Amino acid sequence: MLEIKNLFVKAGDNEILKGISLSVKPGEVHAIMGPNGSGKSTLAQVLAGRESFDVTSGEVSYQGKDLLELAPEVRAQEGIFLAFQYPVEIPGVSNLYFLRTALNAIRQHRGEGDLDAVDFLALAKDKMALLGIDDSMMNRPVNADFSGGEKKRNEIFQMAVLEPKLAILDETDSGLDIDALKEVAKGVNSLRGPERAIVVVTHYQRLLNYIIPDYVHVLADGRIVKSGDRTLALELEEKGYGWVEESAPNGHPVGV
Amino acid sequence: MVAVAENLDIYLGSFEKLRKAGAASQPEWLSARRCLGMQRFAELGFPTSRNEEWKYTNLAPLARKSPPLAQPVPDGISTAQLESAGLAEVEGHRLVFVNGCFDAALSRTEASSDGVQVGTLSEEISVGDGSLEEHFTCLADVDNHALVALNTAFLEDAALVEIPARAVLDKPIHIVFLTSAGHPDQVSHPRVFVRAGRDSQATLIESYLALGDQPYWSNPVTEIVAGENARVEHYKLQRESTQAWHTGIVYVRQHRDSNFVSHSLSFGGRLVRADYRVVLADQGCECTLNGLYAVKGSQHVDHHTTIDHAHPHCNSHQLYKGVLDDRSTAVFNGKIMVREDAQKTDAFQSNKNLLLSGNAAINTKPQLEIFANDVRCSHGATVGQIDEDATFYLRSRGISHSAARGLLTYAFAADILERIQVETLRDRLESDLRRWLSSNVETKEDA
Repeated sequence: MLEIKNLFVKAGDNEILKGISLSVKPGEVHAIMGPNGSGKSTLAQVLAGRESFDVTSGEVSYQGKDLLELAPEVRAQEGIFLAFQYPVEIPGVSNLYFLRTALNAIRQHRGEGDLDAVDFLALAKDKMALLGIDDSMMNRPVNADFSGGEKKRNEIFQMAVLEPKLAILDETDSGLDIDALKEVAKGVNSLRGPERAIVVVTHYQRLLNYIIPDYVHVLADGRIVKSGDRTLALELEEKGYGWVEESAPNGHPVGV
Repeated sequence: MVAVAENLDIYLGSFEKLRKAGAASQPEWLSARRCLGMQRFAELGFPTSRNEEWKYTNLAPLARKSPPLAQPVPDGISTAQLESAGLAEVEGHRLVFVNGCFDAALSRTEASSDGVQVGTLSEEISVGDGSLEEHFTCLADVDNHALVALNTAFLEDAALVEIPARAVLDKPIHIVFLTSAGHPDQVSHPRVFVRAGRDSQATLIESYLALGDQPYWSNPVTEIVAGENARVEHYKLQRESTQAWHTGIVYVRQHRDSNFVSHSLSFGGRLVRADYRVVLADQGCECTLNGLYAVKGSQHVDHHTTIDHAHPHCNSHQLYKGVLDDRSTAVFNGKIMVREDAQKTDAFQSNKNLLLSGNAAINTKPQLEIFANDVRCSHGATVGQIDEDATFYLRSRGISHSAARGLLTYAFAADILERIQVETLRDRLESDLRRWLSSNVETKEDA
């Protein structure tokens, strides 16, 4: 589904990703872990199409298409979803209106008709009930004056409504209390399925107690320095990131 | 203000003609005021950019023209035409003036038990009790404002609204000035006078509309007196033709404990000046001025507001927002005067601008003159572009770049429209704004 080959990315003059390779197949859950500044969020944003980064070399293919050629909105329409580390506040645009506009853009891309306000509301209510989200949040402007936890939950709610094929969660767990974390995990797990893939970017192992990954990759200084199964996450938790950074085999990525 | 109109003779000539024609039907006091207006205009001439108040708005091209007075439309205007000009259909009294002349067929005045009088100057002169003389034209500054003097000289008719004490109107009063330019460069001088009595409550809408896209000049003056404890809500909808000149001014005088709220919504016109001069003439007044301007092409819109805090314990609140595209330009100059006696004044002013193009420009200037020492006055101005992070966020959800820009621009501007209390008017303006955006912002891809 997603094939990243030797990806190099710069922000301004800084080289942030220095040769990332990663292969994600439908049905899989991958966790990307790493210390702050290792390039995790950059990778997530590059996949979503953030234009402030410069891809200097490498390839990314998604469902056989050259992902790097696609505009951010087309990536979303093709089924990619990024749950933002820092969701953006958009005063004046109601959450529901925003999400209906987004869903209909995706539906149009797929050649499906628009959902009208009534049908959309029914769908949104189902998802809200599933995630335990309060109705009142939906009529408020997008993320405006939301608490940190509300913003993260809103990301998961959007994901649940848009039903992406490839969901990338960028530190969605950071700063959440355990109850919120469980709800976020519940939302993500409800989306798991044989046609969908999920990439969980996180700093903390804790989330992976609730979203059980098939693979764990450790990112350090712009490279994947270690890959393994979920036991790698437990090992990391115990030994700290210093352990992998030291044991990196000359910075060569370890594929899965 | 030294440059006399280059075509002063023409103005004097048409004034003389008008004076002779109307001599019989107009009372002495009105003729005298009109003569004074003509005299002051002749002395003052058009304001030039040397005048600080007109620094960024150049009337020189207008001063060089010799605009004939607008004439009635021979075949009249149909309701369908009025609607096609962008009329917002709201319930209640409606006065329609076409090219400055009252059009009874398009107007709708309802007999009401609350004693509200909605009518015209010509009607009042023929049947009124003569009390008009005491108030009419008394707020407008004929002595110092050339265009107000010119309006006064040429005022043929006017919309008059008298709301008796304690009357509470549940429907708005809509005054429509439609221009159907038969002659290019024609001028009309719309005039509105509103008196809201003690404890009364009313909503007033002024709409400036056009049929066709001819150049013309609209030079309106509005006077509003809010009596003690009265509540007046005022809307000014400016949707002149894109070739039109609009130089309007609204004078407001607030008496004790009165509340005045205005919404100045400016979309049309080629060169637009829209001023408010509010005097808080007694204690406990509250004044809110909201404004929205959306301009494109080479449109120019200039808002000057003045709030004169002359007495203690008054609040004023101003929020003007602007959306500028292409090579359009805008001016916001907000003056707050707090006089020595006006202790405990609370005045707030904000002007926020969204520039959609690198070629658009805004001159924004707060002007605070504070002579009292126990007051709270704050002001702020922002000029910005569409937020890139927000755009990316929307795009990452599947919304196209152009639609994302449109959505963000709409959200910025709708903040003002949401404050509109008249629901049908708000709905109408929201869809107008969407249309404005879709014909502009959303069609531009600059990714």
